[in-house]
Amino acid sequence: MISFIIRRLLASIPTLLAVLTLVFLLVRVVPGDPAIAILGDRATPDALAALRAELGLDRWIGAQYVDFLGHALRGDLGTSMVTHRQVWAEIADALPHTIVLTLAAMVIGCLIGIPAGIWAALHRNGTIDVLIRLFSLLGLSFPVFVSGIFLLIVFALQLHLFPVIGNPRPGDWIDGLHKLVLPAITLGIVMAAYVVRVTRSSMLQVLGEDYIRTARAKGVPRRAIIWRHGFSNALIPVVTVVGLYVGILIGNSVLTEIVFNRPGLGKVIVSALTQRDYTMLQGMMVIYCFLIVVVNLITDLSYGLIDPRVKQ
Amino acid sequence: MKLRVTLSAALAAATLVAVPASAAPKTDLRVGMAAQDVGQLDPHRAVSTIDRTVVAWIYNGLVRFKPGTMDPTQIEPDLAEKWESSADKLDWTFHLRHGVKFHGDFGELTADDVVFSLKKAGDAKTSAFSADFAAFKTIEATDPNTVHIMLARQVPSLLGLLTNYSGGYIVSRKAVEKYGADFTRNPVGTGPFAFVSDTPNQSLELAAFDGYFRGKPKLQHVSYRYIPSDSSRDLAFQNGEIDLIYGKQDQAWINRVRALPNSIVDVFEPGELANLNLNITAKPLDDIRVRQAIAYAVNRPELVKWQGADTARPGQSVIPAGYLGFSKDVGLVNTDVAKAKALLKEAGYPDGLTIKVIHTQLPQMLGSMQVVQAQLKKAGINLDIEVVDHATFHQQIRKDLSPIVYYAAARFPVADIYLTQFFHTASIVGKPTAVTNFSHCDVADKEIDAAKTELDTEKQVALWVEAQKKVVAAVCAVPLAEALQIWAHRTDLDYGYDLKASLSLGPLLTEATHFK
Repeated sequence: MISFIIRRLLASIPTLLAVLTLVFLLVRVVPGDPAIAILGDRATPDALAALRAELGLDRWIGAQYVDFLGHALRGDLGTSMVTHRQVWAEIADALPHTIVLTLAAMVIGCLIGIPAGIWAALHRNGTIDVLIRLFSLLGLSFPVFVSGIFLLIVFALQLHLFPVIGNPRPGDWIDGLHKLVLPAITLGIVMAAYVVRVTRSSMLQVLGEDYIRTARAKGVPRRAIIWRHGFSNALIPVVTVVGLYVGILIGNSVLTEIVFNRPGLGKVIVSALTQRDYTMLQGMMVIYCFLIVVVNLITDLSYGLIDPRVKQ
Repeated sequence: MKLRVTLSAALAAATLVAVPASAAPKTDLRVGMAAQDVGQLDPHRAVSTIDRTVVAWIYNGLVRFKPGTMDPTQIEPDLAEKWESSADKLDWTFHLRHGVKFHGDFGELTADDVVFSLKKAGDAKTSAFSADFAAFKTIEATDPNTVHIMLARQVPSLLGLLTNYSGGYIVSRKAVEKYGADFTRNPVGTGPFAFVSDTPNQSLELAAFDGYFRGKPKLQHVSYRYIPSDSSRDLAFQNGEIDLIYGKQDQAWINRVRALPNSIVDVFEPGELANLNLNITAKPLDDIRVRQAIAYAVNRPELVKWQGADTARPGQSVIPAGYLGFSKDVGLVNTDVAKAKALLKEAGYPDGLTIKVIHTQLPQMLGSMQVVQAQLKKAGINLDIEVVDHATFHQQIRKDLSPIVYYAAARFPVADIYLTQFFHTASIVGKPTAVTNFSHCDVADKEIDAAKTELDTEKQVALWVEAQKKVVAAVCAVPLAEALQIWAHRTDLDYGYDLKASLSLGPLLTEATHFK
């Protein structure tokens, strides 16, 4: 197992290097000048040139790349061009909030999506199945900025159960949990809608297999057929989708963080993009990529736990 | 029943605890700003509304606009208690107030800090406003409380450059030298509120500066929160989580917020004038008849109607209304689509023409441009708008890639600044001295230059009016509409002055600002 993890992590190094290079080039190919973003419309060309020199943007792009790569490989992502904050410090501040939100949304998505998918499969084409599919369609149809605002209007403005501004007080985990509820539900509902569909179709497929029929014929109790023979075999596609969806969750967290005014990587990256803050953008993209690599690794490892054949 | 009685008693007790007999007014102000983050807190690099609003609470200038105004004739002492100038307005001496303290442990303000600040503001390496200080020949401290400024030539408003606006803010030399490039995250001024902390992408916290020379501020704490989502910001204000909110230049927003209980909408100067800058050197706009056709096709009242009567007013000249030197009698034409078509035909475009334009995706600016697009289409002028993000827009218009540039701006309220930056040859984009002359206008240099050094105010104003007439006659730009600043606050917040204008584009917080 450990050698598998090491091999996978080593295999991710070329991916990360490719991402570093691509991100470095992409942020520079996109039109827009950090110097103008910082100094505004009244700055003279002299002032803009001086700032470009200060930021190192007047150097040959190859030299900039070597410099960036050298620092990145030593774990130094530099300082923000705009705010002068350390990129690592900003990531360290924002990352836990994004991870907590993503995990909470994943838990909600799985807790709703998997049982509902199983239930729908067991009542195929019945009223429950139709209702669950309708719920799934609604969940997929509403963008998070619409469902988020809707939840805020109902639960913050009308019922006064939650605040609109979801910035948790540092060190106050009860406040943190309280302010996590609405954003996690907003993200979790969309995930649940995906998971329902995959679980339902996977369960239907498994329940139609010959060995399930054989088990029924042998008089195996219904509960054992569903959970031991059905669900455990239907789980692999579900885990694959959950793993893939975590990447989407991290992406969707951008909008959720903005709507609920929560700290997180999403807000940082949007801010960096708006201001053409190259160093911050580069750092953020590296972290996003690393997160996806880790999530994929965890997904692969979980296959082995679910299905012993994968271990072999 | 017993449970109900117990609950009622608990509720009554809680209410008694929560609302004391004589509740003291709040002293913590929560501000909701449309921003992802604050950018620069070094005042000489603070250019966005987000930065300028908060910088105005931290720093002072040698002189200041009376709070709530932007009238150059009402400039009053700030860090300088008095000043005098030579008859030719080239030598100026400023006498500083005694005992003014910087925030934190940075000691008392001295003439050395003022000299350092003004030199920093005039240096392109450390300031976005260096061009404003080009006429400064020497800045010297003649004693710890006196600063002498010598100009190489007269400037239209020296006091204007030294106000609590743009390059006029005074910083602590010791703090700048201590923090270096990080000063922008560790601002130290003399204003009523001192920087406490900055949480990236969340908020900036300020505390009352008890040593403020005008007296201890009534507010104790200011939380400047970045809430980029318009909907969330509005909901937070509506829910009582925000006391002061950045608004939208949109009539529907104004009407909606006005209808909320406990809220007051602030509509104040300066109006940001949107001009359609036409590149007079680029085809087909190098033909004045095409530019005149555009001028005749534009319908200002319709544009104002679209933007909203409370937030917009028609442009009356190529500089904003109310600036010293402004005149509305500059020869602007009214809408006449038939005349526009006739001019196009005369110019060789009987079937109309298409002009490719680069424009920003910012919703308000894009909406206005789309209204203009529809108006021009009636005359046969088809604007092919390429929509790009705002940073790209700014970069590309400075590369002369758009023959028509929609640009809205407010400047120091003296005609010279706007005329120089937008219509003087030296400011043409692409030149080493470029600012924002997108039209390549060069027809009024003589008047703009002469006005700079004219000591007789009447003659100076006449020169500025003549310059406006020439720019309008050459159709370097077509004025569209002026959009006023829109904020809203809760009724229990009292600014401590009458807010009619604010050059920082946000309400000024002073020592007198308080909750009732």
